[in-house]
Amino acid sequence: MNNTTTYIGEHLWIGQIGNSFVILSFITAILSTIAYFFFAKDNSLNSEWKKFARLSFSLHTISVLGIASTLFFMLFNHYYEFSYVWQHSNNSMPMEYIMSCFWEGQEGSFLLWTFWNVVLGNILRKTIDSHWEAPTMAIFSLVQVFLASMLLGIYLGDYKLGTNPFILLRENPDFANLPFISMPNYLAKLDGRGLNPLLMNYWMTIHPPTLFLGFSSTLPPFAFAVAGLWKKDFTTWQKPALTWTFFSIMILGTGILMGGAWAYEALSFGGFWAWDPVENSSLVPWLIIVAAGHVMMINKNKGGSLFMTHLLSIFSFLMVLYSTFLTRSGILGTSSVHAFTDLGMQGQLVIYVLTFIFLCVVLLIHDKLIRVSYIICSLLLLLISIQFGHKTVLLLSWVVASIILTIHSYILNFPKEEEEENLYSREFWMFVGSLLFLLSALVITYFTSIPVLNKLFNLEKAPLKVSDYNMWQTPFAILVLILIGYTQYLKYKKTDKKIFFKQLMIPMILSLIFGIISSIPLYFIHDYSSANSTQKWILISYSLMLIAGLFAVFGNLHYFMKVIKGSIRHAGSSIAHIGFALILVGALISTSKKQTISQNTSTKNVASLGENFNAQKSLLLTKGDTLQMGNYFVTYKGKERKGIDVFFNMDYFTKDEHGKFIKAFELSPMVQDNPRMGQASNPDTKHFIDRDIYTHITYADLTDTREAKKDAYKEPTNFIGHVNDTIFAENAIILIESITTNLTEQQYANTDSTLIVTAVLKATDINGKTYKAYPRYILKNNAVMPDAFELNELGLKFIFWKINPEEGSIEIQLSEKVSNTKEFVVLEAYEFPYINILWIGSLAMIIGTIIAILERRRVNKLSKS
Amino acid sequence: MKKIHIVGIIVIAVAIGVIVYSLGSNASYANFAEAISNPDTEYHVVGKLNKEIAVQYDPKINADECSFVMKDNNGLEKTVILHKSVPQDFQKSEQVVVIGKMEGGNFHANDILMKCPSKYNAGTPQVQ
Repeated sequence: MNNTTTYIGEHLWIGQIGNSFVILSFITAILSTIAYFFFAKDNSLNSEWKKFARLSFSLHTISVLGIASTLFFMLFNHYYEFSYVWQHSNNSMPMEYIMSCFWEGQEGSFLLWTFWNVVLGNILRKTIDSHWEAPTMAIFSLVQVFLASMLLGIYLGDYKLGTNPFILLRENPDFANLPFISMPNYLAKLDGRGLNPLLMNYWMTIHPPTLFLGFSSTLPPFAFAVAGLWKKDFTTWQKPALTWTFFSIMILGTGILMGGAWAYEALSFGGFWAWDPVENSSLVPWLIIVAAGHVMMINKNKGGSLFMTHLLSIFSFLMVLYSTFLTRSGILGTSSVHAFTDLGMQGQLVIYVLTFIFLCVVLLIHDKLIRVSYIICSLLLLLISIQFGHKTVLLLSWVVASIILTIHSYILNFPKEEEEENLYSREFWMFVGSLLFLLSALVITYFTSIPVLNKLFNLEKAPLKVSDYNMWQTPFAILVLILIGYTQYLKYKKTDKKIFFKQLMIPMILSLIFGIISSIPLYFIHDYSSANSTQKWILISYSLMLIAGLFAVFGNLHYFMKVIKGSIRHAGSSIAHIGFALILVGALISTSKKQTISQNTSTKNVASLGENFNAQKSLLLTKGDTLQMGNYFVTYKGKERKGIDVFFNMDYFTKDEHGKFIKAFELSPMVQDNPRMGQASNPDTKHFIDRDIYTHITYADLTDTREAKKDAYKEPTNFIGHVNDTIFAENAIILIESITTNLTEQQYANTDSTLIVTAVLKATDINGKTYKAYPRYILKNNAVMPDAFELNELGLKFIFWKINPEEGSIEIQLSEKVSNTKEFVVLEAYEFPYINILWIGSLAMIIGTIIAILERRRVNKLSKS
Repeated sequence: MKKIHIVGIIVIAVAIGVIVYSLGSNASYANFAEAISNPDTEYHVVGKLNKEIAVQYDPKINADECSFVMKDNNGLEKTVILHKSVPQDFQKSEQVVVIGKMEGGNFHANDILMKCPSKYNAGTPQVQ
């Protein structure tokens, strides 16, 4: 790099401000952690540590806000001298996408996460009971130390700690030695690379902030639970933490569902959920935080379940960390379509995850001697692994030791319930339900972690398929739905069996009747008889899940109307449960009854290769043709280019009773001719109340055929044949009627005159109209001079250029005009029945959870005053 | 025995079931040589598209079939018949994973995964 160059127009000062904030945020997070740590030890309210801790956290807050505003300011002003700005924005980009640029990159999304943590940290600090402030905020600050380090971008020897968002473009090692570096005036003509056009939509504006707020929201319950372990006070933190836990359930759930909606509306997965590792890693923390919330409810109403409340609250956050490791370390490799690329932070992310596990185990251990030995052994193992390798063995022995110590301290230190849990109690079944959620989350985690296991044990296992996930999750769904249906009817501690069964009678009967009646047409009329025994089991499980889902819906509906008598204030849980059940029912029906309506008409049968090969779903649709798709007849009208987006317009018709076509609707699936990512297909969906018609293009020619060249001929094809043979052109069938010559063979042999052989061709176009063509083979002085014949009406050219006397065949070259080739597209189309049940369920779940949160806040306020 | 212990046993049973299932499932990464010696087993083969040999795809004949030549990580080249439409931007792929099995000298794939290096990092600063 040329150090003597003086660059013109750079705003280096703003980068220095940004970097100062980055370093300040890291240092203040460390100070805040230390100060809160000592404040927590010496819990006198007037301690000096307290003032210092609060001051540090405030400074930390200011510096995080400072980093964010600096980056935003740079993006807004197009300061392309900064690598991040150059990578994620450009001049032509509409301003409403500035926020999306902010979090498009890895550094920006870490910053978003840090930002939300700071927001939640400040709310927590203001609202918390004073004796919980120190320990919870110490944990908060420690988390911030790690997150702030992700933005440092400092080299410790050879190891790079974090990636810095304020690195200069000319200092970015990826662009070293490019010509612009030697140009002092490079900024004058530089435009940014810009936001990935695929992400220029409103989903990119709302989904990442929601999801990252969801990730952040698992931190307060975690901080409370760890504080509880630390202070050996297992109960009093649960009440203030409960609202946070339900907030987390609501916001993380919203984030996940938004992701599903984005995938369904704008990406070409062909569905809303594909069990992709990135999706799974946001679902798993949610499943666990839901379990945590329910166990905390047990604790609040009846006491007990202390170990589980700690375990689940802690686990949910740890799973967020593990997800971060999975999706950002590059370990997923080819098994995910949308993992981040590796920024060389694998080591740092592993340390991040392990540190927090370590911390929790240390705090769990009661016995001082064991605790000290555990700390020493852990550090020793870390040193050995750095020095001598054997990382897998050492890591595993550490994990096993940590688990044993956890169980040991559970047995020794946690109070156990003396009496046997009553089978007719709400807490027992809520506990079982929470356990099912945890178990389901662990199964998903295990499946998703196959690439990690491959790396640890040198295995070559392929990632699991969607069908494996579905098969393993269906039983959990059935059991959970049944529990959701009846558990609310049980009272804490003990319930009168007679009343319980009497109340349940109506939902049970309704769900059985409706479930069985609707299962028959859905699963048992067409599919069942042709299914093999595995498929039969799958169909039965679908039917069971449908009945269970309806039971959950009717159970909660009946509870809402009869037991709490329609009081909305108390109906939060009922509404949320109905929503959750509807999500699962909607997902079940729309996925299991998803119909491929684009049927490949090719006769080739590849079913012999196995059932995985039986998905012939691509349909070739030529411009102007009308083909049947499901109940519709589809015409491809042509394409339309708008900027980099190419829209393919299709009309969907239905037939009336006289067989006449009636236009039903239009769809315009799009292919983005994206200069950065190449072609990206964007589906278009027609929404009906009871189903969606989803269409996306899998193959199309994006070049504009209206341009020039229309009259040019394409590469000719050669045809060898005899009289009465036929030649196929794009737009006509050509028959060789006869071949005539001007001379007999003898005449030609005797004279030096010209031999002219004429092929008489009859071309019949699609409408049955016939044309004649007379290409001539001319032989003069032993030289062949074919006379081409152009049939302008059909855009065809024939050259009769060879005669093979031995075979008695002739050879004709056929050229067709470019305009003869009709445009076509290859598409896939699906019908998703009743997918609206899923979206209605999503809304109900979110609204129900919000009602529950508001009610909890109201009750908390009342009890305080 | 408490009821909660029964629940514990079920948890352990599920855990064992999941591990046995995933270890028992045949799907694993392999190269063409392994796929040739076990023709009825499904494999995920990682390799690179041979870009010098044209990808064959004629949707007029069959919109759900394309074929190409792929070199696996050991350098063995095989014709792959993919029973799907041709992937978008296939030529730009850096690495491909085909999922399927050998039959009749060709590898028949029912799915394909591609890794494109350009996905998030395309482009370098250009000043005219």
